[in-house]
Amino acid sequence: MNRKKDKGFESPRPYKLTHQVVCINNINFQRKSVIGYVELTIFPTVVNLNRIKLSSKQCRIYRVRVNDLEAPFIYNDPTLEVCHHESKQRNLNYFSSAYTAAVGAVDPDAGNGELCIKVPSELWKQGDEMKVLKVYIEFSLDQPKGGLHFVVPDIEGNMAERGAHVFSFGYQNSTRFWFPCVDSYSELCTWKLEFTVDASMVAVSCGDLVETVYTHDMRKKTFHYVLPIPTAAPNISLAVGPFEILVDPYMHEVTHFCLPQLLPLLKHTMSYLHEIFEFYEEILTCRYPYSCFKTVFVDEAYVQVSSYASMSIFSTNLLHSAMIIDQTPVTRRCLAQALSQQFFGCFISRMSWSDEWVLKGISGYIYGLYLKKTFGVNEYRHWIKEELDKIVEYELKTGGVLLHPAFCGGKEKDNPTPHLHFSIKHPHTLSWEYYKMFQCKAHLVMRLIENRISMEFMLQVFNKLLSLASTASSQKYQSHMWSQMLLSTSGFLKSISNVSGKDIGPLIKQWVDQSGVVKFFGSFAFNRKRNVLELEIRQDYTSSGTQKYVGPIKVTVQELDGSFNHTLQIEENSLKHDIPCHSKSRRNKKKKIPLMNGEEVDMDLSAMDADSPLLWIRIDPDMSILRKVEFEQADFMWQYQLRYERDVVAQEEAISALEKFPTPASRLALTDILEQEQCFYKVRMQACFCLAKIANSMMSTWTGPPAMKSLFTRMFCCKSCPNIVKTNNFINFQSYFLQKTMPVAMALLRDMQNLCPKEVLNFILDLIKYNDNRKNKFSDNYYRAELIDALTNSLTPAINISNEVRTVDNLNSDVRLILEEITRFLNMEKLLPSYRNTITVSCLRAIRMLQKNGHIPSDPSLFKSYAQYGHFVDVRVAALEAVVDYTRVDRSSEELQWLLDMVQNDPSHYVRHKILSMLGKNPPFTKASESSLCNEALVDQLWKLMNSGTSHDWRLRCDAVNFYYTLFGLTRPSCLPLPELGLVLNLKEKKAVLNPTIKPEAGGIGGVGALDLCANGGIHTPISGFPSSLEEEHLPMEPPPNGVAPAPHGLKRKAETPLGSPPEPVQFTAQEEEDIDMDTVHDSQAFIYHHLNMLERPSTPGKEPPLVEQTLLSMPATPLPAFIKEPSASKHGEHHHRHHHHDHKKKKKKHKHKHKHKHKHESKDKDKDKDRERERDRDRDAHAFTSSPASGRSLRSPSLSD
Amino acid sequence: MADPASVGSGSLSASGTRSGSGKTTTSPAENYYLARRRTLQVVVSSLLTECGFESAEKAAVESLTEMIQSYISEVGRSAKSYCEHTARSTPTLSDVVVTLIEMGFNVDTLPTYAKRSQRMVITAPPVTNSPVVPKALAAGQKRVHPPYIPSHLPDFPDPHTYIKTPTFREPVSDYQVLREKAASQRRDVERALTRFMAKTGETQSLFKDDITAFPLIAARPSSIPYLNALLPSELELQTLEETDSSEQDDQTDNENAPSNTVTDEAGADKENSVLPPGGVVPAVKPSEETVIDNPYLRPVKKPKVRRKK
Repeated sequence: MNRKKDKGFESPRPYKLTHQVVCINNINFQRKSVIGYVELTIFPTVVNLNRIKLSSKQCRIYRVRVNDLEAPFIYNDPTLEVCHHESKQRNLNYFSSAYTAAVGAVDPDAGNGELCIKVPSELWKQGDEMKVLKVYIEFSLDQPKGGLHFVVPDIEGNMAERGAHVFSFGYQNSTRFWFPCVDSYSELCTWKLEFTVDASMVAVSCGDLVETVYTHDMRKKTFHYVLPIPTAAPNISLAVGPFEILVDPYMHEVTHFCLPQLLPLLKHTMSYLHEIFEFYEEILTCRYPYSCFKTVFVDEAYVQVSSYASMSIFSTNLLHSAMIIDQTPVTRRCLAQALSQQFFGCFISRMSWSDEWVLKGISGYIYGLYLKKTFGVNEYRHWIKEELDKIVEYELKTGGVLLHPAFCGGKEKDNPTPHLHFSIKHPHTLSWEYYKMFQCKAHLVMRLIENRISMEFMLQVFNKLLSLASTASSQKYQSHMWSQMLLSTSGFLKSISNVSGKDIGPLIKQWVDQSGVVKFFGSFAFNRKRNVLELEIRQDYTSSGTQKYVGPIKVTVQELDGSFNHTLQIEENSLKHDIPCHSKSRRNKKKKIPLMNGEEVDMDLSAMDADSPLLWIRIDPDMSILRKVEFEQADFMWQYQLRYERDVVAQEEAISALEKFPTPASRLALTDILEQEQCFYKVRMQACFCLAKIANSMMSTWTGPPAMKSLFTRMFCCKSCPNIVKTNNFINFQSYFLQKTMPVAMALLRDMQNLCPKEVLNFILDLIKYNDNRKNKFSDNYYRAELIDALTNSLTPAINISNEVRTVDNLNSDVRLILEEITRFLNMEKLLPSYRNTITVSCLRAIRMLQKNGHIPSDPSLFKSYAQYGHFVDVRVAALEAVVDYTRVDRSSEELQWLLDMVQNDPSHYVRHKILSMLGKNPPFTKASESSLCNEALVDQLWKLMNSGTSHDWRLRCDAVNFYYTLFGLTRPSCLPLPELGLVLNLKEKKAVLNPTIKPEAGGIGGVGALDLCANGGIHTPISGFPSSLEEEHLPMEPPPNGVAPAPHGLKRKAETPLGSPPEPVQFTAQEEEDIDMDTVHDSQAFIYHHLNMLERPSTPGKEPPLVEQTLLSMPATPLPAFIKEPSASKHGEHHHRHHHHDHKKKKKKHKHKHKHKHKHESKDKDKDKDRERERDRDRDAHAFTSSPASGRSLRSPSLSD
Repeated sequence: MADPASVGSGSLSASGTRSGSGKTTTSPAENYYLARRRTLQVVVSSLLTECGFESAEKAAVESLTEMIQSYISEVGRSAKSYCEHTARSTPTLSDVVVTLIEMGFNVDTLPTYAKRSQRMVITAPPVTNSPVVPKALAAGQKRVHPPYIPSHLPDFPDPHTYIKTPTFREPVSDYQVLREKAASQRRDVERALTRFMAKTGETQSLFKDDITAFPLIAARPSSIPYLNALLPSELELQTLEETDSSEQDDQTDNENAPSNTVTDEAGADKENSVLPPGGVVPAVKPSEETVIDNPYLRPVKKPKVRRKK
């Protein structure tokens, strides 16, 4: 339990990082490559620091020096390939645990890392003095698949003219993808960042720009940044491009950057930022912690908003001109989010992953305060309700979101979330949706804390945290001070109790330490004799995602004499609560009725029950419990609530309840709300849809024109000619939103034949026809898009005799009209594109709907063309959504394949992610259904995708896992042949037997132990400590596990024996047994298998390692340049495998021999040297590596002879 | 004297030049002139005979013919002038008389000369069709003179030359019809335009059986898709311009900025474009006095010169 250690932060590393230099000398846009070095200054905290673990992914490391001495290193990343290649096992349980173990094995929060550097012995001999070590690493990145994203438009001109740019991105701590570092939020240090870029470009990074200097040839310039505030590596970012620069007119230390030609948009968009700044600084009574702030707007952004220390990277699509209404609040919200994360998330960082909720919670909470101030209380409450509904729905569906997982000892069996198909132990194993819901719940819980301790105290706590952190940040390196900038759950709770003096323990226990929401069912009866309201509140705490709530609950009762709050105590067994009523029924009819807010209103009381003084009842009106309430009250009570309750949440609840009461009275109540100008516009919008539903249920008794038509006419059409809409004037936003929504809702109306009434359709067509925006100050693109959506909504399935082909001739006349409009809109968009191509998006949806309803032939080719790279991202996503839908409806394996190809190859990370998440939401089939699509090849493909194909992007990998889960579930996919049961059973027994054997060996001489193991049970666990691990990877080849005794291992693998894959249990064993040195286990596994998977190797696409390595099965995960440059035809990989099995046979003896000889590196045989000589000749740069001890050891192969 | 005829006819008229040399004269107008001239030659010849000449050289006859023709022409021209001078269109006898007097001819001798005995009768020139003057296009019914205008005055010209015809109808001011028209006009234009684009370019189709039914302009990926999607279209820009022109100016200013080259000091870096004009100082010392002190606006430093190179 993290909360128990109150002493402060304990670093998992045997050293403390104080300063890091990142220098990127060269960024090549043509080749998409980066070259640079880093230098980390570290203080050992143990006497004999002999190895340093750092995080690094996909970087090609040329050399490592520690205090100017060449240091050997090992680079090894088990997450590259989670389950080894030959494994035939395809169940997700297996994958999930293997993946969690792999991520854990390199988790910087646990002190692990992919890069392990051996401190030269010269240095650690004199280690008593605890000298500062400087670790210098030269690295390069070639066509990075993650971490850095290059956008290079394919047009004429130089890179600046083409608008080429590059920026860093990632999900959680992903900085290791672009430079070696300690990629943990809890390891703070100061930074010096240098970027040399083309003179036409600007490099924007964290900290203060100290100076910009030309290089000697004047063709490049170097940007020097210094970040004196201790910052964690994951909060470091970079953006380079030919940006246009805008200094904020209100705050000169704030600079904005956008891509060429977008400056006017940037000016408008950013004209508002200073207000957000002022707001946060005011409520937090704390100055913005960094001395400057930079915003960069980039294309193909990974997420809309990402915050880093003193800078934020946004999607360029957030920019808008003054004519755009709908995007404005969205963009401002994004800015506010980014800024709130500057305080909590960037400046104050988290101590461990389980403390993430505090930071997300606080930043989300203050963002909420900003919403309240800027958009009003209605908007704020509406937002809270929306978020609450979201989290409730998600938790009930998937079974709970746990904010503060306590990993006691990290035992897998104590999985706190057994309902999930992924582990929540690491941020990188979470599904994206879960993470979003996690953030949502975090800020809701912060709000609950605020309810408990008051906002004033809450802000005081934040202020205290910030001031502590700023004091700490200004200190020179003192290990204990800097940890003040890290926030943990316990620290936060302690602050709260210090400031407020209140105990919020139960609240934390309920919502933070436990997952699930509360589900209430309420009903009531009025006892006339006692004048008492008998309220019954039941709970469902047995179904998944729910928990039991015990404690106070607020109930508001609106009576004739006024509104009264009651606080009831929910206890174990009490369901019924008696609430005394204040008023007698119906005394004085004339009297005005006082409301909660003090207002007094006249009501028509004729509808209500003459015997009861109750107007309406609300349970937990302030949303101070994370709950779902299903409350039963009479329709007239809902109607009163809708009309007279002033809280938007109550109004929205009433509207959704009224859907079940299709009566003229409901209709009237909704219509009144629609007309009421003072009513919150989102409530009115919701009322539109409810009215449409009610109208459909009342179809037979409905009188008068179609719902909303006369209303719309009155509000938006000309007085003289009611069939013509006024020329657009969107100056009043409320009515603009209503005008947009009403046609969409009206189109949902249906007549007796279940068709959209002709009158409504013509009405919408007229709206389109008479739409006139010439006099409008604002763009009408969203309005027109919604009119198309209205047309889409009006569509109903075509009446078709049998399966005749859809032709132009048998097109329904109404549909013909609709199609005309859509065609025209879509074509006009090519000539006069609308903002964010909203119209194209709507048209694509409409066309898909026409296809789906059988009006036009179902055909994905149109969507496929719009989904191509090079269209605006919204258009692409809309088109892809249509293709995904087509794939499901038509069960097309071709399209599924096309989509999966795109997931693997599309340049835009966002689009890849979107495809998988859309496939997950609208899957071509599910685990419950049979489908011809479900076949072994697909299983293999998806498995490969999540196993190794997505190693460069955590989010994408988790998306792939989700999709796999949706399709096949947790266990073996049904389409696969039955596995060999015997082996699976063996697994557990083996483990019990084996584990004790393993443990003692784990430290050093793993060779023997592993040998024994293999002999024992076909398990090739390569256990090893650091130095010996160099040879371990050969072990698995030695003992043929399944009794095919002398057959060489390599051969066995290829042969694909029907016995399945004995190596699998190993991994299982290894992961379950915590005492084993996890990383080394995985190291070796990765080494063994990754070579078979060359295509997935991020840093060397398209190149195969030399044959020698294949033979040896011992290539380090990150290639040494000398090897990489070895020319070898990648296409022949398969062939080579076969070819080299023979070599195996020969070499085996040799290997075995060596292991027994204590693995002396120094005994590298001559052959190897010769080999390296050869390479040196080929590689002009090579001498540095070959001659260094680093290269020698990091090769890790005792024999390269061939 | 190889070809005296051609010389003589050269001064006659422009049309005569052509006729003189060519044997085949096709144009009726030329025939007409030739016929007249032949008659004049006959006249000259007979006058010579009257005076007692027995023969004459052809050239002499030609000269005389030319002279007489000139004389007669001049008489006609002057007579016409006199007649027009007195606001008439047709010459009268008196005009001719005045003309003759003016030309120094004793008119009194004329009657006697006309009645002389040895006068030769000359046959009238052959009747040739006088050249057809194309009739002016008559449009509409010519108006007859009203009673108060004497009939001798010229006729009215064609009505179209003076009658005012209203070319527009009363403008429609009905709001509904206007909107209707604007809407259908716009729709027609849009439809025509998109159809045209669809016809001339690549298309996609929703139907397999009839690819022309609802032609869609083919989707074409662009290299920088966000520009089109985010920047307001020209149409929208116009309206924006009306509301706020200052923003537009800024835009054009800054669009030029990135094109600056960076090799020399003047274009040291594009950031400077935002600076007030006084702010750009040679790159060596950064200016502290600038209104906005932002590190991105500071000029780029030059590298320190190393002695080695």
